[in-house]
Amino acid sequence: MNKKQISITLGLMCMILTVSIFIQIKTIWRANTTVSQSFTENGLRDEVLKWKEKYDNAYYELGKAEDELKEVRESASQDDATSLAKQEQIKENNILLGLTEVKGQGIKITLTDNKASSNDLMSMVNPSSRIVHNNDLLEIVNALKNADAEAISINGQRIVSTTAITCEGTVIKVNGQKISSPFEIKAIGSQALFSGSLTMPGGYLEIMENDGVLVDIEYLDEVIIEKYDGVISYKYVHNND
Amino acid sequence: MVFIAIIVGCMLGAIIGIYAPIVPYTYSGYLAIAIIAALDSVFGGIAATLKKNFDLKIFVSGFFGNAILSILLTFLGQKLNVDIYLAAIVVFVGRMFNNLAMIRRYYIEKLATRKAKKE
Repeated sequence: MNKKQISITLGLMCMILTVSIFIQIKTIWRANTTVSQSFTENGLRDEVLKWKEKYDNAYYELGKAEDELKEVRESASQDDATSLAKQEQIKENNILLGLTEVKGQGIKITLTDNKASSNDLMSMVNPSSRIVHNNDLLEIVNALKNADAEAISINGQRIVSTTAITCEGTVIKVNGQKISSPFEIKAIGSQALFSGSLTMPGGYLEIMENDGVLVDIEYLDEVIIEKYDGVISYKYVHNND
Repeated sequence: MVFIAIIVGCMLGAIIGIYAPIVPYTYSGYLAIAIIAALDSVFGGIAATLKKNFDLKIFVSGFFGNAILSILLTFLGQKLNVDIYLAAIVVFVGRMFNNLAMIRRYYIEKLATRKAKKE
């Protein structure tokens, strides 16, 4: 073996070594772990990261499976007219259930906790009134439904028939997912009805604004509302034929 | 020539490494062990060069063989719920320190003889 060969091999190996070192550094940096002395902590962190990875993979798989299901449904009902009608029905039902992304004219309400200290006596006595609570969200969702809203979402969480809006300590949970200020409530429906029911004098939004919450209303010609990404399953309900 | 090749290789590796995709966190433990094994081989190679019994075949086979073997042992350890990678780290890092001590001694002796010659 001559010197040239030796140097090429050595250079190649050094390259492999530095590549792997850089990849490792990047991986660790991305995982945002600091070197810890405690083994249990490291182990727990490992577990959490592994589960997160598993969750991400599973979520991706779920999305793929849903797409496949859609394809199968389409191909199965391609042949005749009756199945075509059924397909339409399925689509419609999915819109009703909130299982598809929908768009249309509507409204976007943004509620933000007022962090600035105000000299208003009311809010000084009770700073809680400047914060958005789950009851506020419930009231607004109710008002929107009353105004014939066809689809509603809060911070990307679709409001479906099984949705609960609850207060969990310092955060609000919608569909079991934690959300926090600013709350972006999107709804599709008649803009005239929305503006009538929400912005009327003495309406709930006015009360909130007077309490110090930052309220911003936007009327949009195209609101996109995300689909419900959980699973709706019925265990106790049966057809009563 | 050899040093130029090593430096060029390292720089190329750094550039590729910056743009390379990251491995999943699950496998980063294996990669870490492989890196330690490879580093040990590199230090062993440098020490062997100083001792003038460097053999490229042994070096290359040690570089890849140790890395792969340590990965396999770590994998086996995880399946058996024994932290075998700890043993691998102890062995490799211990050898690394031995080799480093040898390199250090070699250069200190070299320096000492040069000083003695001057006087």
